[in-house]
Amino acid sequence: MNYISFVNELVRKKVVEQERVVLFGQNIDAGSCLSGLTRNLHVKPASMIINSPNSENTLCGVGFGLMMGGVNSIFFMKQLDFLLLGIDHLVNTYNFIRRKDPKASFTIMPCIVDGGYQGLQSSFNNLGDICSLARIRGFTVTNKVDAERIINAELLSPGFRIIGVSIRLFKEELIEPGLVFASPDNAVFQYTQGNDATIVCFNLSFPYGHELCRKMGEKGLTASLFSVNTATPTNWERIIEDVKRTGRLVIIDDSKSENLSCHALLCEAQKNCQVRKHVMVTKDMSGDWLSPSHDQLEIRYDEIIDKLL
Amino acid sequence: MAGKTDLARQVLFLRHSQMLINERYKRGDFKIPLHLGLGHEAIAVAVDAVMQGGDQIICSHRNMHYVLARGKNLKAELDEYYLKREGLAKGELGSMNLADEAHGIPYSSSILGNNISVGAGLALAKRVAGKNNVIIVQSGDGAIEEGSFYESLLFLKSQNLCCMVLVENNGYSLGTHITERRCDINLRSITSGLGIHYERFSGNDVFAYVQRLRELRDYCIKTRTPVCVEVMLTTLGSWYLTNDQNPHGKFVNYHSGPAPTVQMNEWPILLMNDDDPVFALTTHINKDTLVRESKDILARLQEESA
Repeated sequence: MNYISFVNELVRKKVVEQERVVLFGQNIDAGSCLSGLTRNLHVKPASMIINSPNSENTLCGVGFGLMMGGVNSIFFMKQLDFLLLGIDHLVNTYNFIRRKDPKASFTIMPCIVDGGYQGLQSSFNNLGDICSLARIRGFTVTNKVDAERIINAELLSPGFRIIGVSIRLFKEELIEPGLVFASPDNAVFQYTQGNDATIVCFNLSFPYGHELCRKMGEKGLTASLFSVNTATPTNWERIIEDVKRTGRLVIIDDSKSENLSCHALLCEAQKNCQVRKHVMVTKDMSGDWLSPSHDQLEIRYDEIIDKLL
Repeated sequence: MAGKTDLARQVLFLRHSQMLINERYKRGDFKIPLHLGLGHEAIAVAVDAVMQGGDQIICSHRNMHYVLARGKNLKAELDEYYLKREGLAKGELGSMNLADEAHGIPYSSSILGNNISVGAGLALAKRVAGKNNVIIVQSGDGAIEEGSFYESLLFLKSQNLCCMVLVENNGYSLGTHITERRCDINLRSITSGLGIHYERFSGNDVFAYVQRLRELRDYCIKTRTPVCVEVMLTTLGSWYLTNDQNPHGKFVNYHSGPAPTVQMNEWPILLMNDDDPVFALTTHINKDTLVRESKDILARLQEESA
């Protein structure tokens, strides 16, 4: 099964259980249904599925209005950058409603443009940027385990959050890692426990970390593999404890932002433990990052392993 | 149904309440910005009179007159402006976002055009819950310049939601008159282009406003459609600034801040024409009766807010 089919299956199961929910967004029940994200959605009779106009600012306000009216809703969005048009509501309206401990749920589920072929829009690929505007809870979904836990726990729970999916991964085979640990707030996931390095992935870079872990295994090395799926303040404790043990830290972040939460981890690690070796893999923004391109992180796995050792 | 005297008392209550707030504002009591609605009383009283249980109004930053009309409690509103725990929102909201959910104001927005889409969401929630209610959104001539105004009307009509959008047109955005900042906007044409019924109110006749708003509310519910009402009004209390740069006086529409030339008066009339909702009352009710009611209201408010 590919990534987007699995995410779609999880969403379909959750929404059909709801007595009353409004699902809305452009093209969510027509055409490709956002490339499969919203395909075959079904809801109970008291609920609605709305193929909406192209009015992102208003659609954000509608979601908050539904929330004030006690009705759960999900706004599915074709591209994260469209959400820039709704920033007013993400800050001003959300800051009003969050004071009241809302009982209803509102989730925005955008597709993050993390493949470079969309051109100029691709520069905005860091979910954390938009979440940091008003300390919004936000989650990236990268594999079978985090998708299950985040969508099942967060999609329709009271309150507001943004759950981003990766366009780059849509057609990729679903990665099914094991799970060692998941923080209760679904911010930090640990997939393996190893002795030779601590690998921490940010935003949507989990597949790169997963591949690095596999390559290390081929060389008889083991690593602890983490993914940080949220940008809001993170409890680094478990990761720091692991770095204390391994002494080697690899950070992978595919964001193009100047505002990387992985820097906070690096500071914490340097402050709290002896990091004997560390490798930072981030986007090289020195070249042409405005023209359409494949936009993958260029990672020389063998060089990273050599550097660590 | 409220009688004529009741409605007149409400208009006078709003006027005196705002003038009392203005007195404190003039002496520098408040740390937060306030937006007086002197001259906006007739529409606020009419809206309050037609709202039924379950109806809600979503306000803008200039919400003082609606909050007073719905809650009828000057002390609680004053305490909120003083950011006291005894305030209407426990001192947590101040003025521009002041809401009073218990009296049908779940949200007010300090951002122009922001509240219409939230109102659309509330109207959709009423639909999903099977409730026959109207959501009223208070907006203004500044907000109709925002893209979100058009977007929200589009959504309201696309979903045929029971919503009444009130555009209080006082001609000003901050200190800039419409003629100084933009071309004319024909709201009738814009709403007509979307298939939304449009009406224009003018004259500050609270009794006529109540009657027509009641009919429009019924129309919204029966035909499941939004309507747009443009209310022509004047924010009273503007003044002429005279200084070295403006020796002959410069007209100041004060937007927020106190109205320095407005003074407390037992008969709180500010203009001798229909731009003043208090003057407009005299067409229907004997002035002596109004003055008597006015003194009584002022005395009570002064005692309550002391």
